[in-house]
Amino acid sequence: MVDVGMTLEMVEASQMGMKAIGAALAVGLTGLASGIAEMTVGSAAVGATAENRDVFGLVLLLTVIPETIVIFGLVVALLLLF
Amino acid sequence: MAGISSGLATNYIYACTRMRVRRSRLIPREDYLRMLNMSLPEITRFIGDTYYRSEIDELATSFSGINLVEVALSWNLAKEYQKILELMPGELKYFTASYLRRWDIQNVVTILRGKMQKMQLGKIKEVLVPAGRLDKVTLDRLLTEESPERVVEALRGEQIYPILERELPGAMETGSFARLENELYKSYYAQLIADAQAGIKGGKMFQKYILLEIDIRNIQNLFRLRAGHVREDVRELMIPGGSFPVEELQQFLVLEDRDEFIDALKKQVDALPLLNALEAIRGKERLREIEVALIRVQLDQMERMSKRYPFSVLPVLVYLEEKKYEVANLRALARGKEANLPGERLRDYLVM
Repeated sequence: MVDVGMTLEMVEASQMGMKAIGAALAVGLTGLASGIAEMTVGSAAVGATAENRDVFGLVLLLTVIPETIVIFGLVVALLLLF
Repeated sequence: MAGISSGLATNYIYACTRMRVRRSRLIPREDYLRMLNMSLPEITRFIGDTYYRSEIDELATSFSGINLVEVALSWNLAKEYQKILELMPGELKYFTASYLRRWDIQNVVTILRGKMQKMQLGKIKEVLVPAGRLDKVTLDRLLTEESPERVVEALRGEQIYPILERELPGAMETGSFARLENELYKSYYAQLIADAQAGIKGGKMFQKYILLEIDIRNIQNLFRLRAGHVREDVRELMIPGGSFPVEELQQFLVLEDRDEFIDALKKQVDALPLLNALEAIRGKERLREIEVALIRVQLDQMERMSKRYPFSVLPVLVYLEEKKYEVANLRALARGKEANLPGERLRDYLVM
């Protein structure tokens, strides 16, 4: 929505702002999603480790797998901004 | 039930995962088959190499032979159940405690019978499993009471007290605690249903288990009564609250022909595994075989339900039930070996 009364600088600033909002949403929402996923995996991981300490390494790996979601979000955010 | 925290889903996931890991550690079928060919000392050593080690080591100085195995198994079961109750969060603790109250009934009835028969305190104590609400200290206190009446009086305030108070005079007069025991278990199941319907989150899943348990127990009782050629009114012996009304169960019992009886039962059953089990039972003659087949169906069905509702009270109950049968199996094996029973005969008694 470009107002006829807007200058070129104003349009550019508006576009930059939109990109920033997009980047924030990309990182923020994916951050929330990985948080929820890690909550589930994490509690199962703690339960399994409490019973058998040998699985600690394996469940640690499983717990950080949902972390990839937020990394994808971060990549999208960086692509948007730069 | 405002006193129970609703808890986060994470609590359920944590507790259910722990139960699944514990369940995976239970003694597998192959080990039972191997134990069938072992002698009693070998079985004791085999059990001592598993998670029963601490109990076997602890009790080895006071007991030996079959008594060592029996007491170690009881101690382990009680310890395990109490530990599970400790680690359960919120509603799961409420349902688990509700389920474990059956051990209170078993313990109280054992003490009453022991007192009636004037058994030694130590002997009665050996067979108690303090896995329910009444802990070791309370049970010890009950043991020191002089007479069955005093034992019941000491239980004033407990849920089972009104029934004990009502039924004890009759039991003392006849010398048989069978009716008292039946009434206690019937009230236990009624209380389970009431707990499940109290509006606590997860109560529906708990109720599914109770329904299955009552149905299987009633069918088992029907087969037992048929084997004992009992044809009179047995409505008092059946547990109300299952999928079959008590009147219907009575009608099943009057059927003379065994095949007709099984057909009539099958008509009322919806679950496919139970239908298959009833069909398989048709070819079985021995009562214990039938009972084991029904227990197996119950455990399989519970396992299936626990997979459908993975984060509910069901995985906990599956573990508690399977642990109970593991202890029963090991006890049967040890007792059977002590009595020099052949392996094939013992195999029929194991729930594998």
